[in-house]
Amino acid sequence: MKEKHLLDVLGNIDDRHIEEAAPAVKKSRMPSWAKWSSAIAACLVLFVGIGGFILPRIGGNSGVGDSGHGDGSTFMSYAGPVFPLTLKEENAAISAERSLTLDFAPWIPVWISNEEEAASLTYLTDAERQDALNAYNEWYPDGGRYESSCKIQVTDSYTLTNESTQNQTVSILYPFVSNLNSIDETRPTLSLDGNALETALHAGSYAGGFQGAWGNWAETHENPGSLNLDSIESWEGYRDLLSDGTYLQRALGDFADLSDIPVTVYELTDAWGPEENNDAGIPNPTINIMFELDYTKTNVLTYGFNQGQYNAEQGIMGKGFSVRQPVDRMYGVPYYIIVIGEDIENLTYQGFATGGWDTKKTVEAGVTIKRSESNLEDALRAAAAYQYQELIDVGNYFESNPAYGFELYFGLMKEHLMEYSVLSENAVERYDDGAIENLDVSGVSRVFWLEAEITIPAGESVTLDAASEKMPSYDFYCADTENKGISGYDMVTELGSNLNLTEQTAKLEDRGQIEIVRQNFGFDLANGITEVKLTEPHYYLEVKSNGKE
Amino acid sequence: MDDRKIVQLYMDRSDQAISETSKKYGRYCHYIANNILHNEEDSEECVNDTYLRTWNSIPPKQPKLLRTFLGKITRNLSLNRWEKLSAEKRGGGQVSLALEELSECIPSNENTDSIVDNMVLKTALDHFLDELPAQTRIMFVRRYWYMSSVKEIADEYGFSESKVTVTLFRTREKLKTVLEKEGIVL
Repeated sequence: MKEKHLLDVLGNIDDRHIEEAAPAVKKSRMPSWAKWSSAIAACLVLFVGIGGFILPRIGGNSGVGDSGHGDGSTFMSYAGPVFPLTLKEENAAISAERSLTLDFAPWIPVWISNEEEAASLTYLTDAERQDALNAYNEWYPDGGRYESSCKIQVTDSYTLTNESTQNQTVSILYPFVSNLNSIDETRPTLSLDGNALETALHAGSYAGGFQGAWGNWAETHENPGSLNLDSIESWEGYRDLLSDGTYLQRALGDFADLSDIPVTVYELTDAWGPEENNDAGIPNPTINIMFELDYTKTNVLTYGFNQGQYNAEQGIMGKGFSVRQPVDRMYGVPYYIIVIGEDIENLTYQGFATGGWDTKKTVEAGVTIKRSESNLEDALRAAAAYQYQELIDVGNYFESNPAYGFELYFGLMKEHLMEYSVLSENAVERYDDGAIENLDVSGVSRVFWLEAEITIPAGESVTLDAASEKMPSYDFYCADTENKGISGYDMVTELGSNLNLTEQTAKLEDRGQIEIVRQNFGFDLANGITEVKLTEPHYYLEVKSNGKE
Repeated sequence: MDDRKIVQLYMDRSDQAISETSKKYGRYCHYIANNILHNEEDSEECVNDTYLRTWNSIPPKQPKLLRTFLGKITRNLSLNRWEKLSAEKRGGGQVSLALEELSECIPSNENTDSIVDNMVLKTALDHFLDELPAQTRIMFVRRYWYMSSVKEIADEYGFSESKVTVTLFRTREKLKTVLEKEGIVL
């Protein structure tokens, strides 16, 4: 059918034509966007979900609402609780009163004009910025739009009193849940009597486990395996993580030095090959490296490769990569094979027309391979530096705050590698290809601590504030659970803290934006009860927008 | 979230990649799928399949324009599904109409030597589009790439439906002439 052929080929026209004609989707699908509904939509849009990926998990959480644990919902995405302040070393002379404010100010819709939005795209050329403005004017013909956030402002305030007759200088630790990618947005700001405190950052290990790929869930309702991440889903998960103090001690400690592990490194540089050319039957020019090894005596880590072939019986392994062109990201970055244990043998390579291991069609291609003996610390450091740079290049957290630095990233990478990779006794399937860049270093949740030193004069009190924007817990929008559109926030009153907390209160600043769906705080908006005393170990608040501006 | 960050989430194999993609481009993909399939359920499945396909493609692919990357996948998946549904007599909608219209662009075989491959056809189409006035080009791409209805295009750009219909008709005629000149047989 010729016209179908034409329609299909039309699908491959240049991106710029497709971009140029992109529809004003929001306008056409939501023609009656009133201001108030825009605010709700903006909120909801935040939570449009994973679709095919989470569908199997929905089965596991079908009783969402109260499944999993006694109080509050088990959300599909759990943001973690607000934790209390603690001291690096317990100090009996210091007592504290805590006052937590949950402020829904970010929920108030804010008008964003098209002009402002376009002007903020400073990385574009003037012409591109004008194009962007034209597009915004098309999408938002009113000249802009209302947007709101589903984060809340949390101010966790402590009045710390020194009941002794001597000044007390102490290191305080303030915990929070985040990941390296978003730490810049989630990191609390600490201040003492209104003056900003300088803080050091400590990162805990990955705060979760691993689970299977939900392959036979429908039949067996079991999910064996370790291919997927298994994040903490409730505050009890953090209770288990923090209660014995070892997680914190590890976060405060130094990262392991792997210099005493000898390795053989194969560094592959100057890879070349034909350009990608569908017409010539070379859709993905690839170089495959083959070598021999004894799987019982050798472990292999790699960097830069995107495919592998394994045959333990025959004692061969293959690693391959698409030949990067000058326009590709990471062009010129070396590829690494790091061998731990007995060295590999009979290494050969060949260029192929595609990335499939069954490809027969070869192409002219080449790469320079340099073998050297080193140690795991140095070998990993070289590869990690390229990966770190790659993260910077794609605009990750390092860009806006280089102070977090390479060493933290590298340390966490080493920790994850030794805990879960092929080098660990507890190796998980997720990392069984040995690819260093696949280690989940920057995207996984951890508990972080901010450390600062403060002095409390004898017999006096100081006020320490931790201010942050807290993401909600939520269900993916498309999952269509009863918690669709509901945002959850929770806190713990004692977990992980050695402070003598004599009184705790919580205050709700609802800003006229919310309807409370479930809670155990005891707030009562109708009767003006917005401040309550806290006596339980865990509190939760689940709300939805009331649709008001 | 910035597209580069979303692509990096895929590179990091973070589940968040999907939710961020869905958040930013879910409606866009759904729009394309629904234009083709005219069925919420089928469209939703195609959009979910788009995420899965994207998850499996990045890495090694690192799209520079994430939106069109997703759009192309959605369009392909939706057309495939449409074809299947058509075979089951459940097809219809804009694709049938678009196909009928595009049949007018197909040159006769008489004056040509050989069937050209898709790359030549794609290049000819890009060149043809480049030469069109911007407004006409957008209308054409909206109709035959996004499968938007004539009414929707008319409403969105403030034209009468007849103006859109006539413009598309003339553009198809022009395309037919270009393809004939280039000796392209489909």
